[in-house]
Amino acid sequence: MRRYLAGRLLQAVGVVLMVTTLTFVLVHLAPGDPVSAALNGPGVTETVRQHWRESYGLDRPLGEQYVRWISNAARGELGFSFSHRRPVRDVLADALPRTMLLAGLSFALSFLVGIVVGVLQAERPGGTRDRWLGRVLLLLYSVPDFWLALVALLAFSYWLPLLPAGGIVDPVMHDYLSTGGRIADRLKHLVLPVVTLTLLSAASIARYQRSALLDVLPSDWMRTALAKGLSFRAAVRQHAVRNALLPTITLAGLWLPSLAAGTVFIEKVFSWPGMGLVTVNAIGARDYPLVTAGVLAISVLVVLGALLADLAVALVDPRVRLS
Amino acid sequence: MPSSARNQSFGALLFARTLRDSRSKFALVVLGIVVLAAALAPLLTPYDPAAQLDIVHLRSLAPSFAHPLGTDVYSRDVLSRVLFGARVSLSIAFAAVALSVSFGIAVGVIAGYAGGAVDVVLMRLVDAALAIPRLLLIIAVVALWGSVSVPVLIVLIAGVSWFAVSRLVRAEVLTIRDREYVVAARALGVSPWRIMLRHVAPNAMGPGLVNATLAIGNVILLEAGLSYLGIGVRPPTASWGSIIQDGAERVSDLWWLTVFPGLAILITVFACNALGDALRDALDPRQLPLTASEDLVHRP
Amino acid sequence: MTRHLPALHFAMNQPTLSARARLSWAPLVLAALIAAGCKGSEPNATASGETGGTIVVAMPGDVNTLLPGLVASIGDRELTDLLYDRLAEIGPDLNTLGDKGFTPRLADSWNWAPDSMSITFHINPKAKWHDGQPVRASDVRFSLNLVKDPAFGSPVAVYVGNIDSVSVRDSVTAVAWFKQHTPEEFYDLVYQVVVVPEHILGNTPAAQLKTADVGRRGIGSGRFRLVRWEPGQRLEIVADTANYRGRPKLDRIVFAPSPDFSSAVTRFFAGDADLFDQLRPENIAKMAGDTVRRAVRYPNLQYATFAFNLVDPKQPTRPHPIFGERAVRRALTMAIDRHAMLRNAFDTLGVPLYGPFPGSIAVADTTLPQIPYDTVAARALLDSAGWVAGLDGIRVKNGRRLSFGLMSPSSSASRHQYAVLLQAALRKVGADVRLEETDFASFVAKQNTHAFDTEISLFATDPSVSGFKQTWSTAGISKDGSNFTAYSNPMVDALLDSATATFDPARTRAYARRAFETIIEDAPAVWLYQPPTVMGIARRIRTTNMRADEYWAGMDEWWIPADQRIARDKIGLRPLP
Repeated sequence: MRRYLAGRLLQAVGVVLMVTTLTFVLVHLAPGDPVSAALNGPGVTETVRQHWRESYGLDRPLGEQYVRWISNAARGELGFSFSHRRPVRDVLADALPRTMLLAGLSFALSFLVGIVVGVLQAERPGGTRDRWLGRVLLLLYSVPDFWLALVALLAFSYWLPLLPAGGIVDPVMHDYLSTGGRIADRLKHLVLPVVTLTLLSAASIARYQRSALLDVLPSDWMRTALAKGLSFRAAVRQHAVRNALLPTITLAGLWLPSLAAGTVFIEKVFSWPGMGLVTVNAIGARDYPLVTAGVLAISVLVVLGALLADLAVALVDPRVRLS
Repeated sequence: MPSSARNQSFGALLFARTLRDSRSKFALVVLGIVVLAAALAPLLTPYDPAAQLDIVHLRSLAPSFAHPLGTDVYSRDVLSRVLFGARVSLSIAFAAVALSVSFGIAVGVIAGYAGGAVDVVLMRLVDAALAIPRLLLIIAVVALWGSVSVPVLIVLIAGVSWFAVSRLVRAEVLTIRDREYVVAARALGVSPWRIMLRHVAPNAMGPGLVNATLAIGNVILLEAGLSYLGIGVRPPTASWGSIIQDGAERVSDLWWLTVFPGLAILITVFACNALGDALRDALDPRQLPLTASEDLVHRP
Repeated sequence: MTRHLPALHFAMNQPTLSARARLSWAPLVLAALIAAGCKGSEPNATASGETGGTIVVAMPGDVNTLLPGLVASIGDRELTDLLYDRLAEIGPDLNTLGDKGFTPRLADSWNWAPDSMSITFHINPKAKWHDGQPVRASDVRFSLNLVKDPAFGSPVAVYVGNIDSVSVRDSVTAVAWFKQHTPEEFYDLVYQVVVVPEHILGNTPAAQLKTADVGRRGIGSGRFRLVRWEPGQRLEIVADTANYRGRPKLDRIVFAPSPDFSSAVTRFFAGDADLFDQLRPENIAKMAGDTVRRAVRYPNLQYATFAFNLVDPKQPTRPHPIFGERAVRRALTMAIDRHAMLRNAFDTLGVPLYGPFPGSIAVADTTLPQIPYDTVAARALLDSAGWVAGLDGIRVKNGRRLSFGLMSPSSSASRHQYAVLLQAALRKVGADVRLEETDFASFVAKQNTHAFDTEISLFATDPSVSGFKQTWSTAGISKDGSNFTAYSNPMVDALLDSATATFDPARTRAYARRAFETIIEDAPAVWLYQPPTVMGIARRIRTTNMRADEYWAGMDEWWIPADQRIARDKIGLRPLP
């Protein structure tokens, strides 16, 4: 067990290193650099721009920049963001929790909803409820996420002005509200993005859960339960669900990594300043330190999630452990 | 010989089973209509999708008899753009999926059959690749080359889409590897490549094919997303995603630029997914190892 | 006022910001009030107006720096103008010659030496920094030295080249010394060198001020002071009640950054923001019967061109294989119906362009002869230049197709629109245009290195003629200038030199006019449009005279009548809980 763990850990580090290196190289190869983009007024001489490049170390050969970045990153020094004019650490420290909040909430909600709907479907496979739920889920599964977000924003912020049109909190009033008011403000801003994300993910999860349940229906212990006199529905709820939760838990583990980067479109439409938006903008601004640190953070999360997922499966399912 | 006979009956069985499913009947009809409309696009509409009819007087017109889906800000007829856009979106999807699935099957078969170091290396590569959010990868690459041409776009999308297929196929190969006909072929001295090609691949392709149908839907969505971000097909080419992008700033008043291509995407992807579901159910679910298939799930 | 936003992508115009252009965006409170003729603003506050109120400004993108010497974008300029006062402020007529029209600020009076090689400034003894320390002459000296210090890396360093030094006679007297007597020496010093506090910034080495925390505190001498800055979220400034010019009427201004245009617009129309300065024609149409908001048009000093690269991108020493020839450029210009495109892109708000200059500067001349729109003549000219139509309709000459790229930044919606329109128009005369939309960083990089075929570029100019040398003279072709088309005509060089050397405004105008005429004839670019700038603002806000180039000039005199205040106006000046 320990060797397995050590091996996977080593692989994980290797993967993260590879991903970050690739990103580093890609972004540096793209034409343009942060200095020329920021200082392109006609009065700005090349001397000034060159000077800024020197002070940021951008004129050094790529290899040297890379080594310096890696050694700094290992110590936790992630550099200075050109586009935000703040330490990268601070930018990420602001953006990451926002994405986590959004993604985490919708993650929890969509698994809840997804599992429940999957169970509801599997109680009578092929029945009317199953078929109709299936169609609705398939519809949600087939819709482009940015489109759904656009439509939601239109509907509930514009045509029916019930909810705020983006952002995390009211830019002015938030601090002057009471504690209760502040919580309400945050919740109001969370509703649309979370609901949109949840709908989209829940569809996938429900389909998955239904399929997992159908897999276990023919099992021996199900037949035993039915033979003992339980109604099909009760058998499903009391026995099948517990057994069929395992694959969904595995899925949860695999889903974890996507939390960090899967919200780009939602963040864009709802002006949610999270990791996805920050990284995408940083690529456009050639903000090298921010891009590489952002991708580093995301890939660490991805790999961690995968590791946890594998571990969970190995712990719970003896068949996998031995293979 | 058993293998080819088995293949035939397997394929025929699969086909028949799928068709019996009402979902696939519906899906095939819808897809048929979409493909037909795309193919017959020049006949169905009098306008060239790139023609700016009258930039002062005919721009931003709401749907009417003359222009059933309205015109965009450049006075181009939206109906023709949606129809010709179907060609672009569908061909990108089919080409990218064909490419990625072929590659994924190849990698999966090789990894699963060869085993050992080859398997480990290939699968670790796949794991690593899965660690990169594919959207970010594409964005970074496009930053390098600026807006890309359609063939490059296809290769790019294919390049980030083959991973799941390879894993699925590999899992399938692991169960097939020790079947009698494969063992027999090995004992007879048949070369490994021939075994992989003639015996293993055809039987392991099943999940790959299911994945392919679902992947078409995914790729259409991915291409739409890329075009929405402005890094998909270049003007004046129309794809469904790029039409939405044209109207992205005017969602509230030029709603027809968002609604119609969005509906087109929705309907097509829905049909693809329904077909994929039917295919998967036709393939005996018990063949899949342990857990439900991962291809039921969207991941960024 | 469009902003120059390199870092964040935004679907709007991104002009190349001339440092001298920032002259025109200095706040102009007193002069605006004194020059009472309300041009295009609401019934003015002739009464003094009650104090109080909060304005939320929906900002596209975010602020990058609050250090005046490091400002490179318009958004930053707006903030620093509100937080810092200059020695003197430019007059409403934007005169840059001598000191005519300038009103006192930190300097309450000044004297010219008889030979005009030095000017003595007397600092207002009541002027204080936001932390309570008095503004001293040594601060002026420190500020100049900082801008000149290469380690600091100020983008405006080149403009203070003529200022030799500032010496301190006593704590309230500073003397500025010039190397040569030039027409704009007063403007150079007073405008480019914004006075910053030595006691706060002087303890950090200049090279580190770009990144040091002390540079983000925004401690200035203006009528507003910084309360807090949460990057990406909001930036809040409040009235400085102890200011030497008295407090402003408003209590607070909050700047709310938005990641893109649509979210900013949505915020504005949802009432979350009171002001948004980049409305488009379709937004304005919607405001017809709006009782809460109104649209205010304001002029600007920008212009957009469809520019040809006159040199070969692969070998900049050789002329471009297609555009090196004047006849081809003129022919392609004739294929473009500028007025129709203007109607399409901007509806009735479009302002036509008559040359390489915006219509509102002193040397503008809208009567200059233009190249007409004539597709028949265009085709004939292309034929006679040897470009003959091939089978697919695209012209060919010596085996080379008339096929080229058109570069535009993906962040600008107007330029994207024009790119698609131009592509179709040029197709009609047999040219195949490939649209190359790149992100802003690549766009700028390729512009500077002449690595493109054609592009749509947007320039922001200033009232002074010297900015044109950067863009249209041979000297501007280097990386230090903005002559991206690599246009070079010795006659134009001479004319522009003469225009900037003379002290007589009439002669400046005559020289400039002849230079523009020549440029138009040579057709290095097609003069597309002046971007229309319309601001959406809540009706309850009473504005002052909006100056020709900066809407925020005078923001400290804006007020909100008590009976029209909403929730956020009533917060008052209480500190944060």
